[in-house]
Amino acid sequence: MHDMPGPAQGGSAYDGPTYYDRPSLKPAPFNTTVVGGYIFLAGLAGAAQMLAALVRRARPPGFRRVARTGHALSLLAPTLGAGLLIYDLHTPQRFANMLRIFRRTSPMSIGTWVLMAFSGSSLATVAADWLGRVPGLRWLRPLGRAAELPAAVSGAALGTYTASLLSATSTPLWAATPRALAVRFGASSVASACAALSLAERRADNHRTARDLDTLALAALGVELAASLACRRRWRAVGLGAAEDTVSGKVLLEGGADLVGTALPIALHAAALAAPPAASRRGSALGSFATLIGSLCLRIGVLEAGDATALRPRESLGFAQPRNLPRQR
Amino acid sequence: MSVTAERSVQAVHVHPRARDYPGSFLDGVIPNESELTCGTRIEPGKSYGFFTDTTLCIGCKACEVACKEWNALPADSVGFTGMSYDNTGGLSANTWRHVAFIEKRGPTGTRQTDQDAFQSGWLMMSDVCKHCHNAPCLEACPTGALFRTEFDTVVVQQDICNGCGYCVPACPFGVVDLNPLDGKAHKCTLCYDRLKGGLEPACAKACPTDSIQFGEVPELQARAEQRVEQLQSLGVAGAHLYGAPGGEGATGGLGHLNAFFLLTERPETYGLPPAPTRPANRVAPGLLAGLATMAGLALGALALLGGGRR
Amino acid sequence: MRTLEGIVTVVQEGRFLLTTDDGSTHLLILSHAAAAEPHQLAALQRAQSRVRATCRPAPDLIGWVVRRLDVLEATA
Ligand code: SF4
Ligand code: SF4
Repeated sequence: MHDMPGPAQGGSAYDGPTYYDRPSLKPAPFNTTVVGGYIFLAGLAGAAQMLAALVRRARPPGFRRVARTGHALSLLAPTLGAGLLIYDLHTPQRFANMLRIFRRTSPMSIGTWVLMAFSGSSLATVAADWLGRVPGLRWLRPLGRAAELPAAVSGAALGTYTASLLSATSTPLWAATPRALAVRFGASSVASACAALSLAERRADNHRTARDLDTLALAALGVELAASLACRRRWRAVGLGAAEDTVSGKVLLEGGADLVGTALPIALHAAALAAPPAASRRGSALGSFATLIGSLCLRIGVLEAGDATALRPRESLGFAQPRNLPRQR
Repeated sequence: MSVTAERSVQAVHVHPRARDYPGSFLDGVIPNESELTCGTRIEPGKSYGFFTDTTLCIGCKACEVACKEWNALPADSVGFTGMSYDNTGGLSANTWRHVAFIEKRGPTGTRQTDQDAFQSGWLMMSDVCKHCHNAPCLEACPTGALFRTEFDTVVVQQDICNGCGYCVPACPFGVVDLNPLDGKAHKCTLCYDRLKGGLEPACAKACPTDSIQFGEVPELQARAEQRVEQLQSLGVAGAHLYGAPGGEGATGGLGHLNAFFLLTERPETYGLPPAPTRPANRVAPGLLAGLATMAGLALGALALLGGGRR
Repeated sequence: MRTLEGIVTVVQEGRFLLTTDDGSTHLLILSHAAAAEPHQLAALQRAQSRVRATCRPAPDLIGWVVRRLDVLEATA
């Protein structure tokens, strides 16, 4: 049917004719640092709230303080996080228009409502912590208790919906791996919350719980690493491997997210598990910091590398080949 | 004299109602003018779109100009691209029709020098928003600014859009765009205001070769099928539709494109994705996988933090 | 910043044409930071209002970005 050379078969990018190699997609007009910062904070806050509810069930040593720290961390989302989101709007004074509708096809709309639910319930948990002892405000305590479950559930959603936010677009890198990206973001959220809580517990000299949190971080980082490998495999398979060779791909995804944010803390926490507890405190703190930095790098890196694939027609057209269509159910 | 005038009018197949308006200066808008200009009466509740037949396009850019004029869009990308006759570059917040110029090259990738005399080596195609049936931009918009009109077209409501920009990466064709100056998303409205006034969209009305045809989508689709058959029988083997129901350009759950095209080369040549997908289909898999991860790690946390201490 | 004074003749979305007294027409775009909203423009056009726009040249476009719009008088 066509008299021009066809695209290469297999996983490589498209190498047939294009329209003067001009982009055939538009990249998201997001500020990658601002939106990446939001995704990071939302993940940290959401997972911290989830962990707060969990430690209250499991009752490890110092669990009350851990829960309070988790509640306090959750405030990052409604304050700084929401601020970043509004800052990134191009007509910020109209931010409330997000609340006009709910659209289940739009993760941006779903996320807005998740953030609202999370903010409301998180505020209740924090108010109970901070003001629940004030005479006359004791009624805040049962309220805070009641808010824990909704806060934890919306927190779990907040920690991972941002992956859907990216996948439910036409940007090739994000659209290629809806599941693996969600696992990666969710695991990174949990790891970052563990890291923040562990740092707080180390400061309070509660090393036993900090050690448990590090172990949990280790598990989350393991999941993140597996998801990272799955993403990479899929990206290569659909011809998007070159996205990792961009500066942001190399520095933020490979260097920041994978090496600093995953491999390094995995090594440190694993070594700490083997070593006597007292010897591993430095390593634990270092691993926690690395986890937090890596989690931020992951989000900014995925945003940047995604934009790059939208701008490169050989990759976007290669991804939009019939062989990459989802199989019919 | 009047007899000849009447004959000549009939000879070019002018709509009979056109005879009611012989003058050059009119008192107002002709009611249902689209009937006169394209044989279609515009009624709310029906589905309208464009059929762009690229084999008829002569690259005059009348559609680009008509669009800019009617929609008061500013001239943008002022300068030269240095490639072909296309100094427009692409669709943007301020350019809602874009005529692509493709100089056909030989199989070796070099410019063809052995064209038959008087044979054009150019492909020209007027690109536009596809007004997708399951429009990804609309499905992504969190404010409801993007909506489906009574003419089955997709329009951004400027008084609602808050410039979140999420529609931009959602579009599988790179159409909708933010204007950072006014902070809103813009794209072809299929001349929503003209449709409401019974006028054919400006680009289709201005197109001198009827490469851009406006009408009811089912009717256009039937017409397009016939045109493909005709071209195939004339030996244009590559003639095919882009955006017909479920076919190339309308894959992956998009349904069909209300603005669809007749192409003669593979779509990538025109910068079009051959197999776009509907992003909304990826919402549930992503959310479920994410929540499952959180649930799994939560169970792990319970086991770990509560382990051996009770 | 400079000011343009004239009649609003055509309005589309947040864009409008302003015809000044010397007969030239300019294309203006309401900035997202302007106090006026796009939906207010249509009324100005219907009333053929005389307005003063405080604006700057739009980068990479042939047009002006309006930061402030004052209605001077509404002619019939
Ligand atoms: S082509 Fe793009 S902008 Fe137009 S309706 Fe489809 S998704 Fe929306
Ligand atoms: S930029 Fe405007 S039209 Fe686009 S998704 Fe956001 S609110 Fe909707």
